[in-house]
Amino acid sequence: MSWNAGLPLLVLASSLLPGLVIFFLPEERVATRTSLNLAGAALKLVLVGVMIWGVFHGHHYETRLPLLPELDLVLRADALSVLFVTLSAVLWLATTVYAIGYLEGSPNRSRFFGFFSLCVTATVGVALAGNLITFVLFYELLTLATYPLIVHRGTEVARRAGRTYLIYTVAGGALLLIGTVWLYTLTGTLEFTARGFLSSLDESQHRVLVIIFVLLIAGPGVKAALVPLHGWLPQAMVAPAPVSALLHAVAVVKAGAFGIVRVVYDVYGIQFAASLGVTLPLAIVAAVTIIYGSMRALFQDDLKRRLAFSTVSQVAYIVLGIAVVGPIATIGGLVHLVHQGVMKITLFFCAGNLAETLGIHKVSEMNEVGQRMPWTMVAFTVGVFGMIGVPPLAGFISKWYLGLGALDAGQGWVIFILAGSSLLNAAYFLPILYAAWFKAPADTWPAERSFGRRETAWALLAPPLVTALLTLALGLLASAPFSPLQWAHFITTLEYAP
Amino acid sequence: MGAFYYDSGIRAVNATLSTFLLLSVPGLPLLLAFPALRSRLYWPCYIALLPALILLTVPMGVSIELPWLLLGSGLGIDGVGRLLLAMSVLLWTAAVTLLHTAKGKTVDDRLTTFFLLTLAGNLGVILATELVGFFAFSALMGYGFYALLVAGGDERTRRAARVYLVFLILADLALFEALLIAAATTEDLGFEAVRQAMAQSPSSTLYLSMVLAGFAAKAGVWPLHFWLPLAFGSSRPAMTLLLGAVPVAIALLGVVRWLPLGETSLPALGLIIQGMGVVAMLYAILAGVERAQLKMLPAYATIFATGLFVTTLGTGLNDPAVWSRQGNLAYFFIVSLGFGVAVLVVTIGWLQARYHYPAKPEKKADDSSPWFERWPSAVMRWAAQMGVGILPRLRAAWRAKVGRLRQVRAWQRILDGCERSLQRWTFAITLFLLLASVITFVMAFVGVSS
Repeated sequence: MSWNAGLPLLVLASSLLPGLVIFFLPEERVATRTSLNLAGAALKLVLVGVMIWGVFHGHHYETRLPLLPELDLVLRADALSVLFVTLSAVLWLATTVYAIGYLEGSPNRSRFFGFFSLCVTATVGVALAGNLITFVLFYELLTLATYPLIVHRGTEVARRAGRTYLIYTVAGGALLLIGTVWLYTLTGTLEFTARGFLSSLDESQHRVLVIIFVLLIAGPGVKAALVPLHGWLPQAMVAPAPVSALLHAVAVVKAGAFGIVRVVYDVYGIQFAASLGVTLPLAIVAAVTIIYGSMRALFQDDLKRRLAFSTVSQVAYIVLGIAVVGPIATIGGLVHLVHQGVMKITLFFCAGNLAETLGIHKVSEMNEVGQRMPWTMVAFTVGVFGMIGVPPLAGFISKWYLGLGALDAGQGWVIFILAGSSLLNAAYFLPILYAAWFKAPADTWPAERSFGRRETAWALLAPPLVTALLTLALGLLASAPFSPLQWAHFITTLEYAP
Repeated sequence: MGAFYYDSGIRAVNATLSTFLLLSVPGLPLLLAFPALRSRLYWPCYIALLPALILLTVPMGVSIELPWLLLGSGLGIDGVGRLLLAMSVLLWTAAVTLLHTAKGKTVDDRLTTFFLLTLAGNLGVILATELVGFFAFSALMGYGFYALLVAGGDERTRRAARVYLVFLILADLALFEALLIAAATTEDLGFEAVRQAMAQSPSSTLYLSMVLAGFAAKAGVWPLHFWLPLAFGSSRPAMTLLLGAVPVAIALLGVVRWLPLGETSLPALGLIIQGMGVVAMLYAILAGVERAQLKMLPAYATIFATGLFVTTLGTGLNDPAVWSRQGNLAYFFIVSLGFGVAVLVVTIGWLQARYHYPAKPEKKADDSSPWFERWPSAVMRWAAQMGVGILPRLRAAWRAKVGRLRQVRAWQRILDGCERSLQRWTFAITLFLLLASVITFVMAFVGVSS
């Protein structure tokens, strides 16, 4: 097998193999487990770096293994997949460091990190999938690998959240599978192709294609938490903070949004999808999700639940960017895939720090926590302002391109959605900052742990600080070469090239 | 040949020094802000002003392009910028001196951080050469100033800060929309290019309205002035000293930088703006006289000055030739406003300390609004009375409904209920879909093999 054919498989194996070994490690082998985790994450990062360089210079990386008669398991690195793989590789490293610190001393760590690695393997598979059947396989694997992480604590609430998650995602997976098989019977191919592979089909089949589109969007729509398919996400916040970070920023929700992008661009083709008239309803669903998620976030006192509803709202920006149909809005949607991940993981890391260090789970318990944990709250503040879209942070760049793209595509109504969403974001995020920095403190924290002179453990503090810095850098250096924004430009040029 | 290399070498050194110096003016305060988070020391504020002070000594205009920054940015300073920078350096130095207590520490742990963040935004706005950079620095300045007002402030200042924050968010939204309109019109977002493009654009009225509304809210121009008198009532002199120069003057600077003044003629809008300016001045006089508080004088003087500025602006939109001839005076007006308010604040502070002048006259000891600002609540009361008199049943029904709507928890329960019932159905749907998947698979394979 040549280097170009083996690289996608290597990227996959860099998390799969450590994960499989970790499953069989005894609990007390902390050093080995930690080394394996970090080595796998670092190796993946290096391999992905090589992949970025290669794809930019026109190299073709593809692994093709026979799966079924006339259907192969295909892993391919193209510009779009590299965007998602890079995001998950970078954030996986941060989440691994965080999880090591977070779970220190807790039981069942080998099981946790085994599934954790499997989860990232599935995400990489979703990203690198070169056809719809490969995508479906890894998508389902992701569902199965994430379930044990959600129920990790084993409490009744966790088990209930896991059940709900499974019901929702299995239903979504089934829809995706039905759509995929149906599509295969019509076309005889499922290979992802730039600008889609359906436009040559006879016009009499267009109505069927619309139904299949609904199935193929509803499937990933469950993981992307599009309203009304979002019910599992706020419940899943009972999972440990690293899992929440994984769900909201690295793997699950992102896999859903990425799936929608794949279906629209590489199965249907954006222009063909627009000609079928399916993009406007998709944009409306995304707009409703944006506003509904924000409205629900407004009234949540539980911090992680508020963040969960915020994810519901924010991930829909990606879908909105795609559905607006236009090169500039597409850039906004694609770049938000990365930006939302970095910003949201910062917020979940911080929420985890507050819970682990001071036992804070509710917004109403956060009075003057900025005084006690200033660096955690600085990172949280950066994440919040990024989410609102304050310049020069990452969220501003996303909103800028989405707004400009909407004007460019003649869809002025999107501007009002963006404005309304920004207002609601400010309304549910700024009171948290006000409480954390300026409200009179409570006498005691709910369950304080001492870390000496430090505000918390280094392994818990470093990841949110790094991702907060990334939030700043992604906005401030948006025009620098190889930034996600420039990469999104690169992808859009390929999709919209004449 | 040697001379050529010498010249290009000098140019390269000059360019590097310019870049370093211009970036360090807003950059150094930002860098110093976070280590200061847990300290009550004030001296980082003085150090942070050093690059700006050095820049003031450079005898020529300097500007740099930063294509990698944000969406392609730039920083620079010209004669007008130098004037504004000098004002800022002076006032910030004075404010820092007032910031610390007799023991050489600030009164609050985080004040130095908030000071430095606001300072970075303030200096960056003055140096920005294009709209996005201006917007970004002004957002930093605005949120920093909000934090300054809130941190350790009394309840009155906190109330001012809350109102200021609401206006700030709304203003940023309006300015963001204006930015989008400008970016949809021209690729070059430099001030001059935008002014020229927007003068010809069919969206110029919308752009103009957004920019005016945004900066008016930030500057506390009448009728968006509510936070200003409250903020001037703050007991902390370091804040009140900066009120004229930071939020107000910089917002007026934004109006001059962003708008195609002297290049576009909009008589109808100009007339409306002129009218609003005149009303603002009348309001300031009436409110100032009615309140008769020495401490509030700078607040109403500021509202009067911004009213005067708005009137002039309206005149400029009415007759662009006037602005073309006299437009540069606007910068001097902005600098005078910043200095004037600071001098007024200091003088009043000194008078009060010297002659024990009461902060509030006995006649008007409360903080309520002047009588002519109480009309909205009077109208509401009248309408409520009318409702009771004319349509008692309707009013009772509405009150019950509004009462229910206000119960946020009830709303939450409804939405939670909806989501729960959806989850119950999801279980049934899942079973159905699994069955359907199996059937589809079987049918597809039968179809393929046959």
